[in-house]
Amino acid sequence: MKDYTATVRQNEKIAENIFMMKLSLHGEPEKIHGGQFVNLSTGDNSLLLRRPFGVCKAEGNEITLCYQIKGEGTLKLSATPAGAQLKVLLPLGNWFDLESYKNVVVVGGGVGIFPLIAAIREYCDRVNFHSFIGFRNKNAVCLLDELEKSKTLTVVTDDGSFGGKGNAVQAYIQRAGEIEADAVIACGPPVMLKALKSEIASHGIKTPCFVSLEERMGCGMGACLVCVCKTADGGNARVCRDGPIFPIEEVQL
Amino acid sequence: MADLQVEICGVKFKNPVIAASGTFGFGREYNLLYDISQLGGISTKGMTLEPRNGNPTPRIAEGKSVILNAVGLQNPGADYFIRNDLPFLKSKGLVVIANVAGKTLEDYGEICAKLDGLADMVELNISCPNVKAGGMAFGIRPESILKVTQISKKSLKRTPLIVKLSPNVESIAVNAQAAESGGADCVSLINTLTGMVIDIEKRKPLLANNTGGVSGAGIKPIAVRMVYEAAHAVKIPVIGMGGITCGKDVIEFMMAGASAVQVGTANFTDANAMPRIIAETGRWLDERKIASVKQIINTVTLN
Repeated sequence: MKDYTATVRQNEKIAENIFMMKLSLHGEPEKIHGGQFVNLSTGDNSLLLRRPFGVCKAEGNEITLCYQIKGEGTLKLSATPAGAQLKVLLPLGNWFDLESYKNVVVVGGGVGIFPLIAAIREYCDRVNFHSFIGFRNKNAVCLLDELEKSKTLTVVTDDGSFGGKGNAVQAYIQRAGEIEADAVIACGPPVMLKALKSEIASHGIKTPCFVSLEERMGCGMGACLVCVCKTADGGNARVCRDGPIFPIEEVQL
Repeated sequence: MADLQVEICGVKFKNPVIAASGTFGFGREYNLLYDISQLGGISTKGMTLEPRNGNPTPRIAEGKSVILNAVGLQNPGADYFIRNDLPFLKSKGLVVIANVAGKTLEDYGEICAKLDGLADMVELNISCPNVKAGGMAFGIRPESILKVTQISKKSLKRTPLIVKLSPNVESIAVNAQAAESGGADCVSLINTLTGMVIDIEKRKPLLANNTGGVSGAGIKPIAVRMVYEAAHAVKIPVIGMGGITCGKDVIEFMMAGASAVQVGTANFTDANAMPRIIAETGRWLDERKIASVKQIINTVTLN
């Protein structure tokens, strides 16, 4: 973990409200694994908090982040021109450790796909990915070329305007019996992860499942106890440091 | 190189920059980024007798030049701290200030007794705006500040007592005097101001706790004014905090009357804020050929 100055190389819209930012770090970082995240300054000094984003792609000192415009910080980021310098703390959090798996199901919804893409990129030479990806509608669809590194890819939209109609969890559950998966990885809105947890339970699916969680963060490194989630035993875990990835049975969704 | 050492209540600090409670945990995480032994001290995450889970999320929000937090004193309990974190912090050779909170007066007496002789200093959190019982209840009125200080001081035979003051009060000078009368060896201020941010689409406060403590660069002028007022109302030393982001801010607080400062929110904006602030403070003094940071304390004169 280190705080880097980074130069914005590219920052462009890739879908409705979704931007892709490529950054060159001033210095070579330690290895960034799929599922890890960064804490990025917005470039607006009146915004004191950095913004946590899952890394979508990391090669050498180049990293790619994708983000949705949600508030003032991301709005400011979306207007950042190439050549601007930002500060970025990385790598943060744990990652999708797929070393011991051969066939992995990916369940992704909306902006949740970005850390999953990093995991697919990291392991696609050794792991067969079966990806079930949901978007709101055709305008939200992005990064299909990255998702196509999966062995099989099913894309659905809430309104059926691209791919089948439905959501990623339904799409996976319909096909769960056909796929001999030895792990499931998932990231998406809270409602999606909640549905995944209950569907897995009601269908008696025993495949280990790992979910990446999102929460409003402060320090990003586990000191400030702002971004906690509830664990199954009623305690708290820090999303930024104990996570963001948790076995689905260990967290309350 | 200017001498940055300060001494408060007989405790020696290698420089006047202390990590503020709640932003820095028990130091372990930031120690992965830089060696925390270069800091003057750390005020730990506020601890209670029993472990606490704190408030629901979201616990953090933002305004222009400020943030709001409502963590609600999540902590592993004083016993856990003494067993697991205190030895680590002691090994780093920085001043360890145990920040403590209680629900009742008796809690304060008991937790101070546990830490007496173990921590280098104890800082009473009587002004946490984010817990329903205790916390702020003790920190508003001078009568209750006097009582909670007295009972805590009785339990502290060997360890100096800092009382952390709330800004959400009628008179910071009167409250600082109440702490002094109760036996405080030092006061620190300001804790956060109580605030609210509303999500206008949902017509709901953004924080799950509805309100939270406002901190960050935007509150600095309020903090400097209150540090000045407190420092001129009591004889005991004052530790200043509220919106410090750079070396010049340290100088400003010390001119207002602080013998040392705490840095909190700036750690979120810049994870390396404190080592930078220490270096900047030294550079400011060097550029003016001021031999010691102690020469700055309480040197502001009013117009």
